[in-house]
Amino acid sequence: MCDFSGKLIAWLDRELPAEEATEMERHLQSCSECRSDLDAYKRVCGEFDAYCDAAIASATRREVPRWALVVSGAGAAAALVALFLAMPRSRIEPPAFHPPHVAVTAFPAGVAADSASVKSEQRVHRRQAATPASIRNAKATPAQIQNAYFLPDDPMIQIAIPADEMFPPGAVPEGMHFVADLTIAPDGSAERLRLRPRLVGFERSTTQP
Amino acid sequence: MSGDASPLALPLSRLSAGASEATTLYRELQKPLLRYLVCLGLSSDEAQDVVQDAFLTLHRHLASGGSQENIRGWLFRVAHNQARNRQNRYDRHFNSACDAEIDAVSHEATPERAVLEKEKFQQLGKAIRLLTASERECLLLRASGLRYREIGEVLGIATSTVGDTVDRAIKKLAEKCNV
Repeated sequence: MCDFSGKLIAWLDRELPAEEATEMERHLQSCSECRSDLDAYKRVCGEFDAYCDAAIASATRREVPRWALVVSGAGAAAALVALFLAMPRSRIEPPAFHPPHVAVTAFPAGVAADSASVKSEQRVHRRQAATPASIRNAKATPAQIQNAYFLPDDPMIQIAIPADEMFPPGAVPEGMHFVADLTIAPDGSAERLRLRPRLVGFERSTTQP
Repeated sequence: MSGDASPLALPLSRLSAGASEATTLYRELQKPLLRYLVCLGLSSDEAQDVVQDAFLTLHRHLASGGSQENIRGWLFRVAHNQARNRQNRYDRHFNSACDAEIDAVSHEATPERAVLEKEKFQQLGKAIRLLTASERECLLLRASGLRYREIGEVLGIATSTVGDTVDRAIKKLAEKCNV
């Protein structure tokens, strides 16, 4: 076996010091065995890359349970469910239509309304502020209301909750909010809830990576 | 790979320029991180969550005045550790990495070519599963564009060890796959 064969892959990865790399390049011009090995290593690296790409493509396609139940923080989740259940039913369910999920968003302190204790009227006010216009507008026609539910990638209903009502002051970094995917059972009750922390601008990829 | 290219060169000073720059960083690194995590054995959904968590950790790290050196390696290390924690929590192991049935073939491929491609992937998959966990992790990180030094930092091993491990792993694959 050629003395240089042990450094071929390091050379391929540009990990050899400049002097050794130059020496290797000179050697490759005269050693057909190393050139052949080098080609084989390049091919196997290319196939490994393709394998990884195929693995993630397959994993993405198999991803069926998008709303899998993952509760992050029992206290926060319980608070969100309680808030959802406390909502007047007419505000969250358009006639003869059961939305598959509700997005609940908790904004950092200062972004949402004041952080005073949550009282019923205030909560209703915040929900109204974050509910799509066509839903919160009492004069919206049923068609307008239904169309609002078919907007792609938009949350069905947003509920704004100041982060400092769920977490101690300073516990949530600035720019962070929470999105909760809430699945509604046929009887209108909350079935599943998944709370996901997100940074502003860091949106979850919905396309195949 | 991309050992001979460094597509993820990241000027670290950009991070201090604000959230929009951090978003750019996220866009650059999201796919390599996802690919690494899925190939480690996480589901696509879990991998997405780990990537999000890693960036949240980065946000806190930078907000608290943490070091901005080698952010790419730092992010891979955080994601790698979180993946390990999840796999321990669910009592799974990295041995299942790359275990998935690969059914991704090019839409343009003829049926014969698709069969050949699938067989090739199956053979490569078998060879990958015969690698040690360390060899697999080194190869995956290398395929993500990390230098040997960065791989060593992610896995907590010496750079020379990374070089030896990568060399050994590629030679094993070449031998098993008759390339």
